[in-house]
Amino acid sequence: MMKKKLWAGMLSAGLLLSLLGGCGGEETTQTRSPEEEPDRVVFEDTARKKEATVGIAQDLDDSLDPHRTVAAGTKEIMFNVFEGLVKPTPEGELVPAVAESYVISEDRTTYTFTLRPGVKFHNGQTVSAEDVAWSLQRCADETAGSSLVEAFSAVTGVEVVDEKTVSLTISEPDNEFFSYLTAAILPKDYDKQDTAPVGTGPFRFVSRSAQDNIVLERFEDYWGIPAKLDKVTLKIMENADSLLLSMESGAIDLCAHLTSTQVEQLGEDFYAAEGTMNLVQALYLNHAEKPFDDLRVRQALCYAVDREQIIDLAFDGYGSPIGSSMYPAFGKYFDDSLSSYYPHDVEKAKALLAEAGYPNGFEMTITVPSNYQPHVDTAQVIAEQLRAVGITAKLQLVEWGVWLSEVYSGRQFQSTVVGLDASTMTARALLSRFESSAKRNFINYSSDSYDALYARAQTTYDDDTQTALYRELERELTVNAANVYIQDLADLVAVRKGLEGIRFYPIYVLDLSGLGWTGE
Amino acid sequence: MKYAARRVVAGLTTMLLVSLLAFVAFDLISGDPAEIMLGTQATPESLAALRAQLGLDRPLPVRYLDWLGGFFRGELGISYQYKQPVWELIVPKVGVTLCLSLLSFLLVLAVSLPLGLLTAGRTGRGEGLRTALNQLCMAAPPFFTGILLSWGFGVALKWFAVGSFPDMGQNMWGALRYLFFAALALAIPRAAMTVRMLRSTVAEELGKDYVRTAAARGNSRTQLLRRHVLKNALPPVVAFLAQTVAELAAGAVVVEQVFAIPGLGRLLVASISNRDHPVVLAIVVILAFWVVLSGVIADLIQQRIDPRLRLGGGE
Repeated sequence: MMKKKLWAGMLSAGLLLSLLGGCGGEETTQTRSPEEEPDRVVFEDTARKKEATVGIAQDLDDSLDPHRTVAAGTKEIMFNVFEGLVKPTPEGELVPAVAESYVISEDRTTYTFTLRPGVKFHNGQTVSAEDVAWSLQRCADETAGSSLVEAFSAVTGVEVVDEKTVSLTISEPDNEFFSYLTAAILPKDYDKQDTAPVGTGPFRFVSRSAQDNIVLERFEDYWGIPAKLDKVTLKIMENADSLLLSMESGAIDLCAHLTSTQVEQLGEDFYAAEGTMNLVQALYLNHAEKPFDDLRVRQALCYAVDREQIIDLAFDGYGSPIGSSMYPAFGKYFDDSLSSYYPHDVEKAKALLAEAGYPNGFEMTITVPSNYQPHVDTAQVIAEQLRAVGITAKLQLVEWGVWLSEVYSGRQFQSTVVGLDASTMTARALLSRFESSAKRNFINYSSDSYDALYARAQTTYDDDTQTALYRELERELTVNAANVYIQDLADLVAVRKGLEGIRFYPIYVLDLSGLGWTGE
Repeated sequence: MKYAARRVVAGLTTMLLVSLLAFVAFDLISGDPAEIMLGTQATPESLAALRAQLGLDRPLPVRYLDWLGGFFRGELGISYQYKQPVWELIVPKVGVTLCLSLLSFLLVLAVSLPLGLLTAGRTGRGEGLRTALNQLCMAAPPFFTGILLSWGFGVALKWFAVGSFPDMGQNMWGALRYLFFAALALAIPRAAMTVRMLRSTVAEELGKDYVRTAAARGNSRTQLLRRHVLKNALPPVVAFLAQTVAELAAGAVVVEQVFAIPGLGRLLVASISNRDHPVVLAIVVILAFWVVLSGVIADLIQQRIDPRLRLGGGE
């Protein structure tokens, strides 16, 4: 009697546990007798359920209002909830979303959008021209000091033409402005976006429990191809060991941004999908600090650092070497020839150092944010490689918050290893930083020719010419040895077998809408 | 009554001091909430605007008094990061951590009391082994034991799925079942320490003359323990247990990470690295309250056991 009760208790507890964890199935467990290891059965039935649990290393501890969100990890997930007039595709193109079509005026300053009929918000309202105009105006709103979405500072007017047409005017022609129109369209005058966001995307936001989970459910009235899964639970797993354990014990079905070592540890139940992180990982040098004000020293570092070896040693061969502030996913802007501009050459490095007056090398500090293991690993290999040319590099691990205030805002550092991302799919997002007066120019890069080229690129409206200018800017960064460019990290995603449809984008997003269990 | 009033004042002072320390410490260490929120997209203008919005542009004393005023009105502010009222964030987590600590404390009691009392003053052939085992348990860091347990019971035996902690409100039994393993990892070293402490204090007491006299009068071991020994041996053990309650709450911070339990600890760690002041302060004050409370309860229990201690109360 007691025993039976115990089994029943365990069975129901196991069921509830796994249901809440986003897996398990009602239909099959009942037909089996408890003797057949009930809990195990529940876990193996994951594939039958139209739900999935995704592990994420960082909580969405930010405003969920898409116009205010700054954390890359939050944007990455909320990509599934919000859409703009246009949205990016995995190929890096922009296709109409809330808008059905658009016309750009002759003088390239007025964009007229025809709205897609019947697009619904998650709260059931139909998207109106007023909502669209309100959202665009909100992005441009400058009451907080600067416009909510920075690029919208160029907007001079937003107008509701008729009930399905909205036009937007910018002060000067700008080829790249179009990509900012991915900014989310929100219901007018809804003021709880911070914590209970409402958008038009394939998933709707259900709940968030701090440091625990975020729940998304399929939006049934989505205008486009509906999501395959009914429900996705994003489980926050900050501890890397627990993450692996929970994947193996069946609680988590998918996890992105893993290291090659982690992926290898996972058992038979998982397969790995490889994409790119879309980051410019480099040893960033502070040009205002000696000896990095000397071109020869910077070039010597470039020759001394062996990218291939870093990728082999610290990343098991996963990763794409880069030679400038651009990564391969950017297609037409990426110049692959720059990746091999500085081949590994210890003798040349030594000669350049001697020429610069450091025949015996020097001491330097590499500041690394301690919570990003890939950067710490990279810095360690670099320090070892620099030893070969007589440079003693000391690693200084700091908390991310400290890195931001001292290195990034304070510019008090010699060198640092981090990965910089692009906030939008524009070359400008990666290259504007190095203009000498740019506020984000934390490496204090200063070159008149770069500034002149950059200014020209901003006022060139022919796409081919502009692309050529951006490629020239990249080359300038390489030739000037602005930083020691290393790689675009590989994005390794472990996926439970049976779960298919992961897609990679040239920007930092995790698209959940294509995911589904096979055999359904 | 006077005693109680004094304890309440002392407790409140402790909590105030703790909050003040946390406030000042946050001001001293590097890292700024606005910078963390804006990340690598920050510009000086956007930083200044955000600081003003969060009220961080005001001097420290003003901010502290403002917070204190809110605290006494029962307003803990709004999380910088989550934009949610701190209460809303913390309340569900308090329940989880409280359950974890209490469960763990019950485990400590359930294991250490019988074991300590039964073995006190008795040495036998297994003594060496017993001591070694005790040492091993005392040295087992909850973090490590936690990983072993979650591998053993989670991955190999599949008794629970690591990372599938259910909502406590909806599934209390499932949550407790999940918490059991974490509580175990947390309890092992403290239980071992309690056993050792209990054994030595009881053994010491058993060796005293009055106990020998009592034994000579024909009292059994149980009678000896109950009537004479425990009265004298328990007060230091109770003090130690009170400290254990406080330590378990602190240890929960680490174990919550390993078992992916959404408790106060995880929120605290995350909020510290995000410099989310309102959340950190609220949690720190709650933890301080927890420590103060366990101290008061221990005092009361000790006084019940040993009336002499009541004199110190001034009654």
